[in-house]
Amino acid sequence: MAVFFLSVFIFITVLATGVWPAFPVESNKMKIEMKKLLPLEVGMFQSEGKDQFYDRKTTFRYMDGAAELYRSYGFKLLMVCRYVKVDHSPIIVELFHMGSSEDAFGIFSYETGEEEVGIGQGSDYGGGLLRFWKGKYFANVFAEREALSMRRDILSIGHPIAGNIKKEGHKPRLIQFLPGEGLSEKSLRYFHLHQVLNHHYFISHQNILHLGEQTKGVLATYLPQETKEKTFLLLVQYPTKKLAETAFHSFVKAYMPEASHFRTIKTENGKWISAQPHDHYILVVFDAPSQGKAEALIEATRNNLEKRLP
Amino acid sequence: MRGRKVITRRDFLRGTAYTAFATAFGSSLKGEVKAEEKVKIILIRDEKVIDPQGRINQKILQEMLDQGVCKLLGEENPVQAWKKLIKPTDIVGIKSNVWAYLPTPKELEDAIQQRIMDVGVQKKDISIGDRDILNNPVFRSSTALINVRPLRTHHWSGIGGCIKNYVMFVSAPWLYHSDACSPLASIWNKSIVKGKTRLNILSLIRTQFYNRGAHHFDRRFVSEYKGLLIGKDPVALDAIGARLLQLQRIAYFGEDRPLDTTPNHIFVADEKYKLGVSDLNRIEIIKLGWMEGVLI
Repeated sequence: MAVFFLSVFIFITVLATGVWPAFPVESNKMKIEMKKLLPLEVGMFQSEGKDQFYDRKTTFRYMDGAAELYRSYGFKLLMVCRYVKVDHSPIIVELFHMGSSEDAFGIFSYETGEEEVGIGQGSDYGGGLLRFWKGKYFANVFAEREALSMRRDILSIGHPIAGNIKKEGHKPRLIQFLPGEGLSEKSLRYFHLHQVLNHHYFISHQNILHLGEQTKGVLATYLPQETKEKTFLLLVQYPTKKLAETAFHSFVKAYMPEASHFRTIKTENGKWISAQPHDHYILVVFDAPSQGKAEALIEATRNNLEKRLP
Repeated sequence: MRGRKVITRRDFLRGTAYTAFATAFGSSLKGEVKAEEKVKIILIRDEKVIDPQGRINQKILQEMLDQGVCKLLGEENPVQAWKKLIKPTDIVGIKSNVWAYLPTPKELEDAIQQRIMDVGVQKKDISIGDRDILNNPVFRSSTALINVRPLRTHHWSGIGGCIKNYVMFVSAPWLYHSDACSPLASIWNKSIVKGKTRLNILSLIRTQFYNRGAHHFDRRFVSEYKGLLIGKDPVALDAIGARLLQLQRIAYFGEDRPLDTTPNHIFVADEKYKLGVSDLNRIEIIKLGWMEGVLI
C-alpha cells in the first residue's frame, strides 16, 4: 500500500512540476555534499553554524515568490549560511544545487552585466551582490547591510567556496550551435519558461512559443561591427519535432501573421525578423538591420545544427 | 485566456499595446471615463519622515497616517475617523509584510495598532502578522482586517501590492503564481478574508522600483519616496502604485524598463473578480503634504 501511495505522490509531483522530487536519502546526500563546500571559517569570518536547507517546496518560506525563478530551472536544494565577524556586516551565502550544470549556468545567465570577478566558471559582482556558478552549483553571496568593506568581504568568502567545488560543468549544449561572429558572450541567456524569456526580450504576455519545463531556450545578442545595434537570436529546443512545429505555427500566427512562407518580414521599428523551424528546434532572429542579415544569421545557425547534431 | 487578444512586442512597437490591453481586459484606458463615481485614495508625503541617518520618525509617520485617514473618511479627529472603520468589539488582524529587504515599517504597524486601540479594541484582540497568519488565533477569528505593506516590484506578479499581500491567507501560495499571478484576487473571496478588510495602506516610505539580485532586491533601486497611499479599494491603490513604480524607473534610468511581468493581476482583480477599480481614469488621488518629486 505504501508503495502505491508513494507512486501516486511521485506521479502527481512530476505531473505538476515536471521535475523529479528529491527523496530523503538523495536529499541527505546533497546536504552532506553541500556542507563540505561551505568553509566554517574564512579569515576572521566564522560560520554561525545554523545552516538552513530548503527544497523546491519549502524555499517559498525563505524567499517568497522569488523562489519561482529558481524553480523554473531544475533547482533541487538551497543551503543558506551566515558568516559573522566583529564590526563587519554579516555575509549571507546561498548555495543552490541546480541539478545540472546547464541549469546552474541558466540561473546565472538570468542577470549578468556587472563586473566579472574571476570566481567559479562565471561571476558577476555589483551592488553588494556576488553571483557565480560552477559545476551544478549556483551561489549568491551578499552583505546583510551596506558597509565599506563589503566588496572585499564578499569576494573573500566567494573564492574558497568556488575552490571547494572541484568538478566543473558544461554550459548548455544549445550554445554550440550559435554562430560566433558578432556574438556577445556575456549576453547569453539560457531558460525554460516564457516569463524568463520575457525578462530578457519581451515577446508576448502569452506563451506563444509553447515554452515549458521540458523546452530549452537560448537567447543571444549580436552586435554587428557596422551598426552596433543589437540583433537577437533565439534558439529553442523542443522534446519532439511535432511539438516544435506546433509551437512554430503558434508563434507565426500570433507574432508575424502577415509572413509568407519566406518567414522574413520588416517590423514596425524598421528592423527585420526571420523565423524557421528545424527538426526539434525553432530559430528566430529579431531586430536585424536588414533582410539579408536576418536570413544569414538563421542560415548560419541552421548549418551549425546540421553539422553538429548526431 | 481563451478569447483574449494576444498582445505581443509588436503591439508596443505600434504604440497600440494599451489599446490591446483595454481590449483584452475590457478596461477603458483610452481616456473615456465611465459614468460611475471615482474611487478616492489619499497620497500623503512628508520630507522629514526619514531622518539623515535613515531612521523613520514615528511621530511624523503617525501624523501622516492620521491626516490621510481623516481626509479619506471626512473626519477632523483621527480616532473618530478610525471609529468609522473599526468597532471596539472587533477582533483585528493587521496583515503586514515581513519580507526581509523591505518590510512594512515597524513604526507604521505601531501607528495603526495605536489607533485601533484608541477606538477601544483590546490589545489581546489585535495581532500583526504575515507568514504565520493561518496559525494565528486572532487572524483565524478576526472580524476586521487592515492590509498594510510596502510597494515594490515583484518578479512573478509585476508588483507586490495590496492584492498580493493576502497570498499568505492560503496554505499553498505557489498555486496562485500561474499566468503572472492573475488569480491572486480570488483569495479575497475566501471566508477567512471576505468582506473583512476595512482599510488598505501601501507604504511608499521606501519603494523598490526595479528588480535585481538574489531575492530580486538591490539597494540601488530603492527610492525614499516618503509617502503613504491610503484607501478602501486595494485594486485602485495597486493600479496607482504600479504607475508610480513605472514613473520611478523612467526617472532613474531615463527610459521605461519594463517589469519582468506585467501586473495583469490588477486588471484581472477588477474585471474578473470585481474587487475594485483598476482604470486610472476612475481613480481620484487626493495629494497631501510634500510634493517635490511626486511623479503622479
